[in-house]
Amino acid sequence: MAKVHNWQLGREMEYRFPEVHPNRQFVAVFNTNRCIACQTCTFACKSTWTFSRGQEYMWWNNVETKPYGGYPHHWDIKLLQMLNDANPGGQTWDTSSQSDDAPYGEFKGMTIFEAAKKEGKDNAIGYIPTDEEWTSPNLYEDTAKGKPGVPGEYHPEGAQLPEHNTWFFYLQRICNHCTYPGCVSACPRSAIYKRPEDGIVLIDQERCRGYRKCVEQCPYKKSMYRPNQQVSEKCIGCYPRVEGTDPLTNGIPMEPRCVATCVGKIRLQGLVDIEDGHWAEAPTNPLYFLVRKEQVALPLYPQFGTEPNVYYIPPRWVPRQYLRQLFGPGVDAAIERYTNPSRELQAVLQLFRATQKIIFRYEIEEGEEILDTEINGRRVQLFNDTIIGFDGSGNEAARISVEEPFHIRNGDFAGQFQNSI
Amino acid sequence: MGTLSSSRRLSTGILALVLVGAAVLTLLDLRLASSQTITLVAKRSENAIPLDDPSADVWDKGAPIQVPLSGQNVVAPKGGDQGTVTARALHHDGKLYIRLEWNDESEDASTGRQNDFTDAAAVQFPVEHGESVPAFCMGNPEAPVNIWQWKASWQTGTGASVLDVQDVYPNVDVDLYPFEDEAEFYPASASGNIVARADRTSAADNLLAGSFGTLRAAEDQMVNGMGSWDDGKWRVVFSRDLEVAGEYAQFSEGDSTNVAFAVWDGARAERDGIKSVSQFMTLEISPEIATGGGGGLSGEAVGLFVVVGLVVIVGLAAAGSYLLYTRRQTA
Repeated sequence: MAKVHNWQLGREMEYRFPEVHPNRQFVAVFNTNRCIACQTCTFACKSTWTFSRGQEYMWWNNVETKPYGGYPHHWDIKLLQMLNDANPGGQTWDTSSQSDDAPYGEFKGMTIFEAAKKEGKDNAIGYIPTDEEWTSPNLYEDTAKGKPGVPGEYHPEGAQLPEHNTWFFYLQRICNHCTYPGCVSACPRSAIYKRPEDGIVLIDQERCRGYRKCVEQCPYKKSMYRPNQQVSEKCIGCYPRVEGTDPLTNGIPMEPRCVATCVGKIRLQGLVDIEDGHWAEAPTNPLYFLVRKEQVALPLYPQFGTEPNVYYIPPRWVPRQYLRQLFGPGVDAAIERYTNPSRELQAVLQLFRATQKIIFRYEIEEGEEILDTEINGRRVQLFNDTIIGFDGSGNEAARISVEEPFHIRNGDFAGQFQNSI
Repeated sequence: MGTLSSSRRLSTGILALVLVGAAVLTLLDLRLASSQTITLVAKRSENAIPLDDPSADVWDKGAPIQVPLSGQNVVAPKGGDQGTVTARALHHDGKLYIRLEWNDESEDASTGRQNDFTDAAAVQFPVEHGESVPAFCMGNPEAPVNIWQWKASWQTGTGASVLDVQDVYPNVDVDLYPFEDEAEFYPASASGNIVARADRTSAADNLLAGSFGTLRAAEDQMVNGMGSWDDGKWRVVFSRDLEVAGEYAQFSEGDSTNVAFAVWDGARAERDGIKSVSQFMTLEISPEIATGGGGGLSGEAVGLFVVVGLVVIVGLAAAGSYLLYTRRQTA
């Protein structure tokens, strides 16, 4: 085991391989507050990559209802239980040591790699889900958590902020293209690799021999075994689109299918530059801004230790204790910033689904104030700024204002474009 | 107190001697071809050897050797267990046949479910037979090994019967598989990955390795393998021409090389390095006609075992007498 630095944990940790970083890293931000669980992402992925024989059960992208849902069933609860068994009561954070380099403080517990060492396991703790656990991928859809200890009843005061007493939310999941992937550390054949150009993690389909160690040791359960090929497959981050080799954009990097098709406009994907093992400071890269500067988006289960690269704006109505377990100690501050957004954040949030080209940089043109009011005792100002997103070639790819333009259909078109009924 | 501690010193000394002896033997066993102590002799069979019947009577003429196995504990993933495999070898009409036989309570021949792992077995030879023997675990970069691996699941999947979800779950309902015949949607087989090939004609693969994690399919697939499970026992036959073109293990009458075995138990989720393995032994291709005798330990091995055995017996006897003597003294 080597020592590597995990900024999400604010400390060094043990990993099978020495610290190596890609030149750029695939990063995505999912805004859980906006998701309506339409599963368009899920089917966009399915119809692009996993529609063939042997892939029937595979959903490289899935949306599950928390707290009960999970694909495979209870994947996260099982992992948390295994970690707690390895380190009873010790999975805690020291938030007093928060800094720019350690925005969530320091994790004092054990990662899946450190727990493996204690438990005498290879590389990382984990398990292979059964066929039954992979079935019914949307089990517990829309099932709410009610009053504790009272099954089958809604809480009488269910929907009051800041925390609803009856609640659920949607968690959107793809491969996290982790900095320290559990799957990479698991593979005895080194058949899994992280690409230097974008940090996308791939299983070499020529080298894989179907041992399923990656299925066992990916804590997010995003390596999946394909029986009729006797090898494992996983989310490929739609790398032809990210590379810009998809003919649609003539060489311009494009967001993955699950991101580009998002109806609820909850997803944004991009690439951040890595310098000396750290995210290069890039305040106008929207991903850098959301994750590192504004810190409104947080990693999923950072305590697993893989440094996942999909970040979530946490749902603002959900009990914080639960959210801290999912997203770490940054939850309270992230919800505060999302609920009372800065002028810049208001503009950057408009970039979600403004284009399917990857936005590498943005500029903001200031607009006039359109709202100055008081909500819940706080002054709220809104400015109609315009944000301009630039693609991989430095050309303008999106231009959108904070206030959505209001169009009134011209009466002359009546009868021409309307539905027939 | 004094007598007890001195007797302890004596027994510790004897134990250390035996351990050092064992270590030296193990080291020698790893290094020198001439010290491979168990010999598997492949005599000439006058009768044809059927591949589709690993229990055929013809195997009664092959002299069996009992080969001890132990768990692979060098690199992760580690595993496997102690056990024994019974090996026999014959040659006929220019082909070498090796039959492995071992106990396994369950027949695990499917990898159709997520947690299904297959029973499997392998024989391993040095590519170049010379003075030194490669590491018995997957060889060395400068001394590669040729591995023939049989998997029960490949037997299930031989020919047209690639294991689809419909084979495991007959009531599954899928309306349509778009682009079903286009190869790129089966990327492992499209890229030539041998474990995913749909046109498999043998349940045994011809593989090469030059250390852990380097196992790869050889360009030429010329090894046949067939197993049958009956009443808690696998019998698996491997066969290949004695001499073949290419950088693979070669065999010729009157010559010797080395061979090692490995066995995987699918029911225990054994795969990859989680396996029970033997050390290298000597494999002799004999011109004699197989009649059921011969094989077993070589003359040198018997000599070595006798010497080591004598040392242990004398040592134990000395220790026992000394202990008895000291007890009498104190009484």
